[in-house]
Amino acid sequence: MSKLVEVKNLCVDYITFNGRVRAVSDVSFHINQGEILGLAGESGCGKSTIAYSLMRLHRPPALISEGSIEFEGRDVLAMDDDQLREFRWKETSMVFQSAMNCLNPVKTIEYQFWDIFDAHGLVSSRDESIEKAKELLRIVDIPTERLFDYPHQFSGGMRQRVVIAMALALKPKLLIMDEPTTALDVVVQREILQKVYQLKEQFGFSILFITHDLSLMVELCDRIGIMYSGKLVELAPAKQILSQPLHPYAHGLGDSFPTLHGELQEMKGIPGTPLDLQNVPPGCRFAPRCFKATAACREQEPQLQQANEQRWVACVDPLKIASQTQQPEPLTQSHSEPSETTCVEAL
Amino acid sequence: MKFILSRLGFYLLAFVTAVTINFFLPRMMPGDPIKSFLGRLAMNGGQITPETISALEALYGYSTSTPLWQQFFQYLGSVLAGDWGMSTRFFQPVFEVLGRGMLWTLLLVGTYLIVSYTLTTLLGIYVAWKRGTWTDSVITVGSVVVSSIPSVVMALVMYFIFASNLGWFPTSYAYHPSLDPAFSGEFIGSVAYHLVLPLLCMVALGMGNVMGMRSNMINQLGEDFIVMGWAKGVRDRKVMLHYGARNAILPMITSFAMSVGAIFGGSLIIEIIFNYPGLGQVMFQAMLARDYPLIQGYLLIMTMMVLGANFIADCLLFVLDPRLRTQLD
Repeated sequence: MSKLVEVKNLCVDYITFNGRVRAVSDVSFHINQGEILGLAGESGCGKSTIAYSLMRLHRPPALISEGSIEFEGRDVLAMDDDQLREFRWKETSMVFQSAMNCLNPVKTIEYQFWDIFDAHGLVSSRDESIEKAKELLRIVDIPTERLFDYPHQFSGGMRQRVVIAMALALKPKLLIMDEPTTALDVVVQREILQKVYQLKEQFGFSILFITHDLSLMVELCDRIGIMYSGKLVELAPAKQILSQPLHPYAHGLGDSFPTLHGELQEMKGIPGTPLDLQNVPPGCRFAPRCFKATAACREQEPQLQQANEQRWVACVDPLKIASQTQQPEPLTQSHSEPSETTCVEAL
Repeated sequence: MKFILSRLGFYLLAFVTAVTINFFLPRMMPGDPIKSFLGRLAMNGGQITPETISALEALYGYSTSTPLWQQFFQYLGSVLAGDWGMSTRFFQPVFEVLGRGMLWTLLLVGTYLIVSYTLTTLLGIYVAWKRGTWTDSVITVGSVVVSSIPSVVMALVMYFIFASNLGWFPTSYAYHPSLDPAFSGEFIGSVAYHLVLPLLCMVALGMGNVMGMRSNMINQLGEDFIVMGWAKGVRDRKVMLHYGARNAILPMITSFAMSVGAIFGGSLIIEIIFNYPGLGQVMFQAMLARDYPLIQGYLLIMTMMVLGANFIADCLLFVLDPRLRTQLD
């Protein structure tokens, strides 16, 4: 599998009155062609900031201060305004965190589809745009006569599907889904993600999937990156990250979520609160909340390092893989088959 | 359609309420116009006979001997019939006196509304788009400073500098007195020339709207659909106008409707200072002469203007905001 996106040492700063706050710090990862990469972590850990960086959507006071983003070998950060405009939506599109609010309330859905085609010069007439938009609505199972309705006339789930249809309008190579289903109930959430998964299989795009919902993520994603306070602390194949975590934080997260198929276990959670990014202490950022933090942890900041063939972790003293025994995971069983078939079944 | 009808019904009700208050309010105040007139007459050594009183009662269209409710229905009937009584200052029907000034006031306020709201809306959009830059600071601070000058001071200063001292603009009238009203280039040019200074003054005083539009626009620019617009690759200009401004003007229309009353009130002072023959002039003289029928007539006209402006704003919002449309229709 070849790399579609490669992010190296990405840093994103927010300029505040008290100086710069580094929201994303030295994050590196890549997304393969046709892969679903998940990003998980607490609120404010920089997941969405990374998503925005991939499309260069940051506006002041936020800015990408260091690092590089390559999309099929093209340097995204070096693009000029016109190149960037071309790049957006055509190569990478995004389903925003709040699909509820990301449609222009005073324009019809039809207009907002036309906007996309028109901006990229892909249609010669409005009728052509309408035809294409209808086709896209059919893909996400929305009656085509709804095309001329306004956003507020749709239910939350339908609006989300409209946004997904829009995101697929130009057949992008990467689809970013930033907590796409947070506002929806579980049933609608399933339906939508199932649809996205089918579409992904059909069109072969890659997905960057961001969510708080770890159990959902484990089922959907190929690989998962766990973030803490602006740092990527662990990156591993989806089935391993909760069952055999290397980073104490990933371990803690695994204990904080109920699994979809397992028996109900006691949820432990992680004591403490996320780091104040305005005041980052030396050493490992997770050390104050870590159950096995040592003096060494508070001195040097661990870097993301390859632990084995497929796994990266940023910890001075990662958990041993054998430590999985404390979590007798039904998850591992349900995921022992190739992940793709499992996903469809599970969904 | 249902919406428009229901709004119309609402405004009709509001108008009747206003008329009712307009009728009872002066009657609840101590003293009445006939007594005040008689008092002045007596002070100047005039003869007061029963004939004088009945003549005055005929002039004002009411007598103290008829019961209040009967007076009220008489009043209601004559208001609807366009018979608003006689002006005691001009000795002409109120309707005619107001009609004369009305034309000029409507011209002044109408052009003001168009010029000012277009200008401040566009400026607001622009500075919000450029927020944090020098242009933003200069325009924003400037418009706040200018609009916070009291209208009397602003009007007097402009009058003395541009009309009185420099003589660039006329010092009074709505058109050159030597001209006869006609649909000719010369006449229209003269009207426009006489309109410039009072208009400029009012536009300057209304610059505060820039701040309102700016903050509406900044709010809108923080919305997710703006970011999505950019993400879609839509050009900046289109995001600014069709995504940002298109939504930011909606609250401006409401604020426009609410400020119409104040604008008419504000135009009074401007008209008086610039000797512009609008309602302001008429009212100024009416107030000095305690011309009750005229003042009441003016109140009625103001009520109609404000209600009318609100109705227009309602219809505009109805057209511009699809959310309102589905909710109400």
